[in-house]
Amino acid sequence: MHIPDGYLSPSTCATLYAFSAAGWYSALRRTKRAFATRTIPLISVFAAFSFVVMMFNIPLPGGTTGHALGVTVAAIVLGPWASALAVSLALAIQALLFGDGGITTLGANCFNMAIVGSFVAYGVYRLIASGAEISSKRRITAAAVAGYVSINVCALLTAIEFGIQPAFFHDASGAPLYAPYPLRVAIPAMMIGHLTFAGLAEAVISAGMVSYLLRSDSRLISVPNHSSPDLAPGTVQTRAGWGRPLWWAVGLLLLCTPLGILAAGTAWGEWSAGDLANGHARAQISVASGNHEPPALIPPGLQKLASLWTAPFPGYAPGFIKSPFLGYLLSGMFAVGLFVMTSLIAMSIGRKWRRREASS
Amino acid sequence: MADIFEVDNVSFDYEGIPALRDFSLQIQQGERIALLGANGSGKSTLLRILDALYFPVKGAVRFFGRELTERQIRDDSFSLDFRKRVALVFQNPDVQLFNPTVFDEVAYGPLQLQWSKADLVRQVEETLSSMSLLHLRDRTPYRLSGGEKKRVALASVLILDPDVLLLDEPTAMLDPKSQSLVVDLIQQWKGSTKTVVTATHQLEIVEDIADRVVVMDGGAILASGTPHDILANADLLLRANLAHAHRHSHGSVVHSHPHRHGHTHDHDSHEQE
Amino acid sequence: MAAARGLFLSRPSFIGKTILGFTRGLSEALVSEKFARRSGFLQSLDPRVRLVGVLALVIAAVACRKLQGVAALFLVASFIALLSSLDLWSLAKRVWIAVLIFTGLIALPAVFITPGAVLWTSPALGISISAPGVYSAAILILRVETAATLTATLVLCTPWIQILKALRSLSLPAEVVTMLTMTHRYLFLLMETAKQMFESRESRAVGVLSGPDRRRMVGQTAGVLFSKSMELSQDVYLSMVSRGFHGDVYLLHECRLASRDYAVLLLFLATGFVAVWMGR
Repeated sequence: MHIPDGYLSPSTCATLYAFSAAGWYSALRRTKRAFATRTIPLISVFAAFSFVVMMFNIPLPGGTTGHALGVTVAAIVLGPWASALAVSLALAIQALLFGDGGITTLGANCFNMAIVGSFVAYGVYRLIASGAEISSKRRITAAAVAGYVSINVCALLTAIEFGIQPAFFHDASGAPLYAPYPLRVAIPAMMIGHLTFAGLAEAVISAGMVSYLLRSDSRLISVPNHSSPDLAPGTVQTRAGWGRPLWWAVGLLLLCTPLGILAAGTAWGEWSAGDLANGHARAQISVASGNHEPPALIPPGLQKLASLWTAPFPGYAPGFIKSPFLGYLLSGMFAVGLFVMTSLIAMSIGRKWRRREASS
Repeated sequence: MADIFEVDNVSFDYEGIPALRDFSLQIQQGERIALLGANGSGKSTLLRILDALYFPVKGAVRFFGRELTERQIRDDSFSLDFRKRVALVFQNPDVQLFNPTVFDEVAYGPLQLQWSKADLVRQVEETLSSMSLLHLRDRTPYRLSGGEKKRVALASVLILDPDVLLLDEPTAMLDPKSQSLVVDLIQQWKGSTKTVVTATHQLEIVEDIADRVVVMDGGAILASGTPHDILANADLLLRANLAHAHRHSHGSVVHSHPHRHGHTHDHDSHEQE
Repeated sequence: MAAARGLFLSRPSFIGKTILGFTRGLSEALVSEKFARRSGFLQSLDPRVRLVGVLALVIAAVACRKLQGVAALFLVASFIALLSSLDLWSLAKRVWIAVLIFTGLIALPAVFITPGAVLWTSPALGISISAPGVYSAAILILRVETAATLTATLVLCTPWIQILKALRSLSLPAEVVTMLTMTHRYLFLLMETAKQMFESRESRAVGVLSGPDRRRMVGQTAGVLFSKSMELSQDVYLSMVSRGFHGDVYLLHECRLASRDYAVLLLFLATGFVAVWMGR
C-alpha cells in the first residue's frame, strides 16, 4: 500500500500533503499535551517498533504470508493521534531510507495509513470493545476486526486516489500520465489483495498482540484518556463529543468533491438554455429522459431568467484555474470556509444579543 | 564532611512489587561506596531515587539537606544545578546512548544545561580525546563495541564535571580489558568533593572502587562495612546471593564451600561430605 | 530425524523470510557509510543543497507531462549518481531492476486495456496494444525510476543525521527532527532484537507448527518486542531527564553555505524548472 513516486499527480500529492500536514500538526500538539516530556522517547521508540512489525512475515490461513501495518495496535495503545504521529515517522523513514514509498507521495501514504488508518482502527475498536471487561475475548475480537476494517479502508482510499488519476491527468491522446487504471479497475484490483491477505495479516497481528498484552500488562490496553501508559486500569469508555469527527468527515468529503467531474453529462433537470440549443446535449437529455425529446423551442421563461445572474465561478472553476480537479476542490474549500465564517459570525452575533438581553 | 545524601526510611514500589523497604542510608561527600547485591536487590532503584528520577512512596531523600520531591525537581534553577552535580550511568548503555553519534551524545548534557555553544565543540573534543574516543566521534552507537559504549556513556556524564557519580553495574557484560579500563577511570576520578556510589554484584572490583560496602538484599540493608570485612564474610555473601556453594572433588575427597569467581583459595581444610 | 526434518522444513518459512528481511535491513545501517565516504559530486555539496536539489528534481520528474522530459530527467539522475561515485551495477541492483519488475508488472495490463489508437493486434489472442497504453506505461515506469534513482543516490551519499540536520534547517520542527533521529537510532537495535527472537524460535520449532500456533507465536513475538520497546522508551526517558532534559530540544546550529553550494542549487532548480516547463 506504500505508493511510490510517479503514481499520483502533483496536485493530488499536494492536496494529500496539505491534509496530512494538518493532521501532523494536530497530532503533535495533542500528543505533547497527553504525554508531556515523555513524548519524544515514547513516540520514537514506538515508531521504531512499528517499523519492525511491518517487516514481520505473518502466516495466514491457506499457507501464505502477509505483512501488517501495526497501526491498529498503535491506535489502541497510544490513541489515534499519537499513533498517527508514530506511524507517520515510520513511513517517513521507510520512504527516505529504504525506498519503500515515494517522497512526493509521503503525504498520501501518511494520510491513508497513519492518519485515516489510526482513526478507523481506534473507532472500530472502541465501538466493539466498549464496556468490555479488561481480559475479555471481546477485546481481542475487537482488535482483529478493527485491524481488518482499517486496512481495507486504507486500501480503498489508495484505490480511489489511483483510480481518479486517468480521468483528471491525461495527455491529448488520452494516455494516463500517472496511475493508469480507472476506478472500475483500480478498486477491485487493490481491494482483492487487501480483503484477503493484508487485512487478515493486520487482524492476526492485532489480535495476537492484544491477547498477549491483556495477559501480561493489561494496563496498556485500558487507557481511557491515553495520557500515560501507567494509568489505573478501567473499562473502555465511549467518549461524548462529535465535534472533531465531524470536522474530519467534512475534510474527507471535501477530498471527494472532485469525483463529481467523473459523472458524464449534466445532471437531469439542470440544463441551461445553451444545453437545450446544443444538438449533442439534446441527444444526451433525451436518452436520460426515457427517449423523450426536449422541446424544440427554448421556453421563454427559462431564457429570460437564465441571464439574470452570472455566477462568479461558472462550472465550479474560476477562470484562472485550468484543472477542473483543483477547481472543484477550491470551490469546495471556499464554500466550507464561507459556511464556517457565516456561522461563526451568526453565533457571535447571537451571543452578543443574548448577553444584551440578559443584562437589560 | 557534609552529608551529601540522606536516605531516610524510604520505601518504593515498582509496579506493585516492593523494591525498597524502609531503607535508610547516609552518604558523606567524598565517600566511595559500593552497593553490593544480586539482581533484584533494589540497587538500581536506589540509584534512581538518588538521581531524582523516582520519588519515594514513603520516607524522604535529601540532597545537601534539601528534600528531593517532584515539585522540587520541577524548579528550573534547582534542576539545572542538580542535573549537573549528580550524574547517573545506566546499566544498559543503549539506554544512555540515544543520540545519533558519539559527538552528539557527549554534547547532549551541556546542550540541555544550556552551556555556551561557542565553547561546546572544543569541550566535547577535549573530553573525547581524554578518553581516547576522538576517533569514534562520528560513529553511530549501534556500531560500537560494549566497552566503547560504556566509555562513551561515561564521557557523556563526565563532561559535566559532576560532584556525584552514580554507577549502575559499570562493568557488567564487559570483557576483562574493558572492565579494567572502567575501573581505572573510576579510581582516577577522585577528590575531596567527588562522591562515587557504585551498584554492582561483581565482588572482584569492590576493593578497587570503594571504601565502604553496603550489602543489599530484598530492598533492605543486610550489612555494611569495609570491603575487606564484607568480602571475608562468606556466609553473608551466600545469604545475599553474591556467592554460591560450590562443590568440587580432589580424588576421593569432596568438599564444599562458598565460592565466588575470581577468587583463589587454598585447600587447607577438607570437609568430609 | 524429526528435528532435522523440522529444521529443514522451517526455511524458507515465515520465520526464515522474516529473519532474511531483518538481515537485509540491518545491512542498510552500514551501506551509507561506504558510499558517503567516497568523494563525488553529491558528497561535495552541503547536505541542505543536496536535499533541496534532489527534491526539486523529483518534483520535476513527477510534474513533467511529457515522456521526453521525464526521460531527460532520468538521464540527469543517472548522471548525478555516476558523478557521485555510484557505479551502474550498484544502481541497477538496488533500484533499476526492482522498479522495472514491480512497476512493469503493474503497468503491463495498461498497455492492453487503455483505449486509444491501436498499435498492434494479436490475431491469435484477440487483444491489442494501444499507443496511449504504451505511452502511459512508459512514462509511469520512467517516472518511478527517476524518482527512485534520485532518492537512492541522495540517501546512499548522505548519512541520515545530515539529512535530518538539513531538514531541520528547512524549518522542520525540532521535536520532529529529534523523533526521526531517535527512531532511526533505535530502529536497528529493535531489528536486531527481533531477529534474535525469531532465530531462537526457529531453532526451537521442532517439527512443523499448526497454522493457529504459528499465528499465535508471531503475535507473542510482537507482544514481547512491544514490552521491551516500552521498557526501552521508559529508560531512555529517564536517561534523558538525568542529563537535564525537561521538554525543550536544543540542537547545535549549522554552518554557512559556500558560494559553490548556491551555484549548484540554482543549477538543480533550473534543470527541474526547464524540464517541467518544456513538458507543459
